[in-house]
Amino acid sequence: MPKTQSGRLISKILLLTDGSEGCISVAKYGIILSKITGADLKAIYVVNTELLKQLERARIFVKIEEVDYESDLEDDGQDYLQDITELAASKGIHLETELLKGIVHKIAIQKIEEWEADLLIIGELEPGLSRQDISHDELGLLLRKARCSVLVAKEQRGLDELFETLT
Amino acid sequence: MKLSNLIKREAIVVPIQNTEKQLVIEELLEAAAATGQVIDRAKALQALLDRESLGSTGLEKGLAIPHARTNAVDGLVISLGVAPDGIDFQAADGGLSYLFFLLLASDALTSTYVQALALIARLYQQDDFRREMLNATTPQEIIAIIRKAEE
Repeated sequence: MPKTQSGRLISKILLLTDGSEGCISVAKYGIILSKITGADLKAIYVVNTELLKQLERARIFVKIEEVDYESDLEDDGQDYLQDITELAASKGIHLETELLKGIVHKIAIQKIEEWEADLLIIGELEPGLSRQDISHDELGLLLRKARCSVLVAKEQRGLDELFETLT
Repeated sequence: MKLSNLIKREAIVVPIQNTEKQLVIEELLEAAAATGQVIDRAKALQALLDRESLGSTGLEKGLAIPHARTNAVDGLVISLGVAPDGIDFQAADGGLSYLFFLLLASDALTSTYVQALALIARLYQQDDFRREMLNATTPQEIIAIIRKAEE
């Protein structure tokens, strides 16, 4: 079996969320895999400021809404990271967290390289407003450009039960 | 996230009966209230009107998305209306508005709210979706069109 420099197939797991559906599934997958493999775990929450800008350009938002919602999403991100830190701690796992802002796939790719992650876990990222937008296909871009393996966590029967039985 | 899972049949108005902007918003709000998620209708209406006062939510190509975040609703509620003859909603392109999505979300649901707005805008860019929605005559038909567009 191929091994990384650390001698383990998976030694650093990066969790990515932008507030899309399935955030908790991403966290549970990560915590379970960290428990099984002993890998370090880090979660980043990316405030999707690109989507807010797209909505403002499409005139769905006025500028003041864009600013307000960016601030609220930052607060949501902090809350989410706090929640999953506690979730991980409940299973004896230490979780490092970071709140970031920008274009989701670009930030994720940058973090994979900086932190030298060897597995990225993501939810089902929503595309941008139109095909012309840089972030139209966040998921596709990540799958193509990430230098590590990528796991797309979906709502899966049995995940919650498995998580609950984890000691 | 799928719009077809978020819109309830009882929250669809086809055709819209009113022609004046505020009355159209009230009619759509009444449809939203049919879901049971509107806790305080007067407060929800005020939130929508306050948002309109910042700039019309009438967009291009006949789409209007009156929206607001307010704790006058429980969760995320969307109503949808079709006005085959068009309504002057002070749209950005100066044209009439034909398809209306009214969207309200409680304060805690910013991410879901933003993504639902993006979802509506994305669907509306499909030519077939726009054409079929404007020709729809029943809530059932509208749900089927949304489902098809989301496949």
